[in-house]
Amino acid sequence: MKELTQEVASPVSTTRSGGHLQGWAIGLGLLLLWALVPAVASRSLIDMLVFSGLYTIAGLGVTFLLGQCGIVSLAQSVFFGIGAYSTAYCTTHYGWPAPAGFVIGIGVSAAIALAVGWPVLRLSGYFLALATLALAIIGHVLFTEWDWLTGGTLGIGGIPRLDLFGFSLKSPQRFYYLVWPLAAVLLLLHRNLLLSRTGFAMRAMRDAPAAAAVLGVDNHALKVKMFVLSAMLGALAGSLFAHYVSFVSVDSFGVDRAINFLLLAVLGGAKTIIGAVLGALFVTIVPRVLSQFGDIHAVLFACLLIATVIFLPEGFGGALQRLVQHLRGPARS
Amino acid sequence: MSPLLEVKQVSRSFSGLRVLNNVSFAVETGRITGLIGPNGAGKSTLFNIVSGFLTPDTGQILYQGHDVNRMSVAQRSRVGLVRTFQTPQVFANLTVRENIMAGCYKQTASGVIAGLLGTPRVRAELKRMRAAASSACDRFGLAQVSDQPAGKLPAGQQRLVELARACVAQPTLLCLDEPSSGLNSEEVARLMQTLARLSEEGLTILLVSHDMDLVAVASVIHVLCFGEIIASGALSQVQSDARVREAYLGT
Repeated sequence: MKELTQEVASPVSTTRSGGHLQGWAIGLGLLLLWALVPAVASRSLIDMLVFSGLYTIAGLGVTFLLGQCGIVSLAQSVFFGIGAYSTAYCTTHYGWPAPAGFVIGIGVSAAIALAVGWPVLRLSGYFLALATLALAIIGHVLFTEWDWLTGGTLGIGGIPRLDLFGFSLKSPQRFYYLVWPLAAVLLLLHRNLLLSRTGFAMRAMRDAPAAAAVLGVDNHALKVKMFVLSAMLGALAGSLFAHYVSFVSVDSFGVDRAINFLLLAVLGGAKTIIGAVLGALFVTIVPRVLSQFGDIHAVLFACLLIATVIFLPEGFGGALQRLVQHLRGPARS
Repeated sequence: MSPLLEVKQVSRSFSGLRVLNNVSFAVETGRITGLIGPNGAGKSTLFNIVSGFLTPDTGQILYQGHDVNRMSVAQRSRVGLVRTFQTPQVFANLTVRENIMAGCYKQTASGVIAGLLGTPRVRAELKRMRAAASSACDRFGLAQVSDQPAGKLPAGQQRLVELARACVAQPTLLCLDEPSSGLNSEEVARLMQTLARLSEEGLTILLVSHDMDLVAVASVIHVLCFGEIIASGALSQVQSDARVREAYLGT
């Protein structure tokens, strides 16, 4: 996936960037680094990287909504949960193969996103943020109360390992090699989308909704479509999460998770595609590193968040994009 | 031939205050029609009603003979009714070129899934959008700034971006809301030339302004005052109208 870093980090420009040998070299280096990590890294680091990959997928949905469509969504934890419970229930209760659970989870999430998004996305700004927060809270309550389906606080255990063409993903290393290429493909697809008619429409809608409407864009329908797409990403990540940890309970799908997904988008840089990756790495790895300082780690993390938002208002992705532009500067002008 | 746009007995009140009172006028195909009036005359309200941002309390908007009252802004755009805004509404984070590319929305048709997959059709569309933007940039004198973010441009150029973008959207009626506000006299003169050229090419234009100089490009002018049309006709006609003089000059 790291070979994308270069490409995806570059601003979505409509001018053709020439063959940058340096860029390719950096990309190749990062790809090699990515491929070699599982061979040298500790198990806990690989574990964190797998989670980063999962959060990248779910966070990409939130990032895209926030950065490209101007929609603040705190509801991603719900779709993450639906994906997780769906595959957990189908595989443990019915003994169905995992893909069935994935498809059902994604389908249910899409349907709920459509049904809820249609009315809710008439709102905008703070009201929309609050409405999606309400959705996250309702989702968490239902996950707890519907224990016949979710196991409530006891959760669902014994979720089987994923099997890919007869190859069991039983170790974090193997999962790492599944989740990151998948994330990379999804990042690429979203980059494609940004460079299509729809991508132009959503960025137009973000910057000046009235002017977008005048150009013929049905803002509401477009928002709903993007919300559904984002929910599908959330469900996919949730399903993968369930198979990776093999046990799911309501604690994983609370409001804190929803906030984490939004935090990831803001820190990573919502206007860039690569922002989802950078944000996911940050929210997974940094708290773990800080935890060695003892009880003060939460305070340190908070300080770091504030500093990031102040000094990098466009997030890590925005800063990286600026850096790339700066390096290319002379060639472009 | 029936007029392109017909406003029929439109009234609209805001919290009891009647802003438009039984306003009727028509826009003929192929002409520049001016709508002028002092501040607070109801021009913006009328304009918002025509473009679909507001609904009238009573009255009808007929476009190409069809009632468009219930159509959304986007739907009206699809039948060719495109407007600009008093405060230029550019897509601030997009470059000038990208702004104009976004104007091609109606001339393209690919969906979300095709967009995700980046199908050949999507790439062909992008190429067409880029070509349209390039020629529009040249035409409206924006080639120099085509790679700059539109939000960073001075107001005069933002207006041009908006105008170029609106033209790329292939309107049958182009509605311009105070296109000269924020422009210096040189820019106004150039804008008038551009409008005259667009009109010669067959575009129908509805121009809303309180600037008497700019509306000189219009062949028919309607004067709106306190929510009513008080005079209609050619510039010299409305200028000599006693009520217009009173409204404008207070004499």
